[in-house]
Amino acid sequence: MSLLLPIPAVQALQPLTILVAAPGISGVIAKLEARLQGRRGPRILQPYYDLAKLFAKESLAPAGVNAWFLAAPIVAMACYLTVPLLIPVLTTFGLPWGYMGDILGGGFVLSLGSFVVAVAALQTGGPYAQLGASRSKTFAAITEPVVLFVVFSVALVTGTDLPYALAATVRSSASQIVRPAHLLAAGALFLVILYETGRIPVETHTGTNEFGMIEEARSFEHSGPYLALLKWGSACKQLVLYTLLINVFLAPWGLASSAAIGSVALAIVTLVGKALVVGAAVAVIDDSFAKLRLFKITDFVSAAFLLSVVAVFTLYLGGG
Amino acid sequence: MQPVPGVFEGSANVVAVLVLLAEFGMLRQAVLRDQVRLYALQSLVVSALAAIVAAGRDVPELYALAGLSLALKVVIVPLVVTRLLRDTSEEIAGSGTLGVATSVLVSIVVAGFGFFAVGALGIHSRVLPTTALSLSIAVVLVAFVLMIVRRDVVSQAIGFFSLENGVSLASLVVAAGLPLILEVAFLFDLLVAVVVFGVLMRVHHGRTSSLSTSALTRLRG
Repeated sequence: MSLLLPIPAVQALQPLTILVAAPGISGVIAKLEARLQGRRGPRILQPYYDLAKLFAKESLAPAGVNAWFLAAPIVAMACYLTVPLLIPVLTTFGLPWGYMGDILGGGFVLSLGSFVVAVAALQTGGPYAQLGASRSKTFAAITEPVVLFVVFSVALVTGTDLPYALAATVRSSASQIVRPAHLLAAGALFLVILYETGRIPVETHTGTNEFGMIEEARSFEHSGPYLALLKWGSACKQLVLYTLLINVFLAPWGLASSAAIGSVALAIVTLVGKALVVGAAVAVIDDSFAKLRLFKITDFVSAAFLLSVVAVFTLYLGGG
Repeated sequence: MQPVPGVFEGSANVVAVLVLLAEFGMLRQAVLRDQVRLYALQSLVVSALAAIVAAGRDVPELYALAGLSLALKVVIVPLVVTRLLRDTSEEIAGSGTLGVATSVLVSIVVAGFGFFAVGALGIHSRVLPTTALSLSIAVVLVAFVLMIVRRDVVSQAIGFFSLENGVSLASLVVAAGLPLILEVAFLFDLLVAVVVFGVLMRVHHGRTSSLSTSALTRLRG
């Protein structure tokens, strides 16, 4: 009989895992990308050092901004850490706050986080930050239909749109995994995640080429601990989205089915391992495709839209 | 909540969905050579589905069909078309009348019409789920869109060939037990089409030294 963790502790462990592991995942992806390009690359722990350095620096704000500018990184971080309460990060069973919101609710919270950052960037008067804010909102509006259709297909498959319910459905039988609707919706979600985390073919993740900048340009005017929070927040958002893809759609196995310490610890390790596999796939894509011109992003999104619409179509025909 | 199809039906549907996605890939692809490769891939998927049906539903004639279509549509037709392309030194397809995103949206609407029109017929088949039939009709309709929006001879030929892929997918659903000779006759129809399109491409390129059909709108006196 192993020791049981109190449920609130498991609940708190979900955002904590994301918070602690997120920069590491980014570090591994950066390292792997560099190795694939034949470079040695930064240390895997480099994102943690960056964060430590930024937290130790002073922070400056542009003239004329109000408290919103300083509050935005904190609010965004809070948003990114709320979503792990709603999705199955570590456990197969719903935790007390797990049914607070569905997939759509999680999507709203993520968009809220990105919205407050965009508004803060708009306040600065810096052209690059404003450009990034404007672009990120424009393209977010284009990807929104894809997310909606993915949610529709989840709703048609499970009869609800709770992430826990879909994960349980996928686990239930092999016929649930091979059904086209599931695979297509997962594919569409993966493309959306490439967009949302600012990866090739949508955006170069590293580098300062302002022509292609969308999400990365928004934080240009922040500095010190606030910049650190923004960077940490976008790493967290990336891991949250990977978790959503892995633990709800692709591979909801290895989650803890009880609050026993051993199985929860195993779930943490499995989550990090699975996120690294997704990260490796993303790194390979980053290295093997060219960045799309800004006005070609609609073509990319139309592919994701196609996948999600076909998913819903096949479901309506009863064959999904 | 809907009844979940079994593993065999689900996998067959996934393969049929792949055929449709390859069709959309051809619609999006601007490089002619890659369009031909996508056609070969689509034909490979259709042949694989024929083999899957042959194994899963015990229709041994389909093995012969799968082998024939593999040889013809995956190897010979793409080889002939790429050979024709090699002489023309044109790599990029003439601009479509619509942008990529627009033509994908138009095709989604057209494919949706095909899906639900055929779904409403309620045709049931012994070997494959009805969804595969709807998907095959969607493939045919998207191939039409491909032929309509593209302005070069090669894309139109590829559109026609892939239309045949949609038809053979449909024939797998509704007529898997059809005598083999009929299916083979279909394949040889395709061979005739290849010859005709090959001559067309040659003659067109010889006269206008381009693959674009926009030169055809000029009046000749």
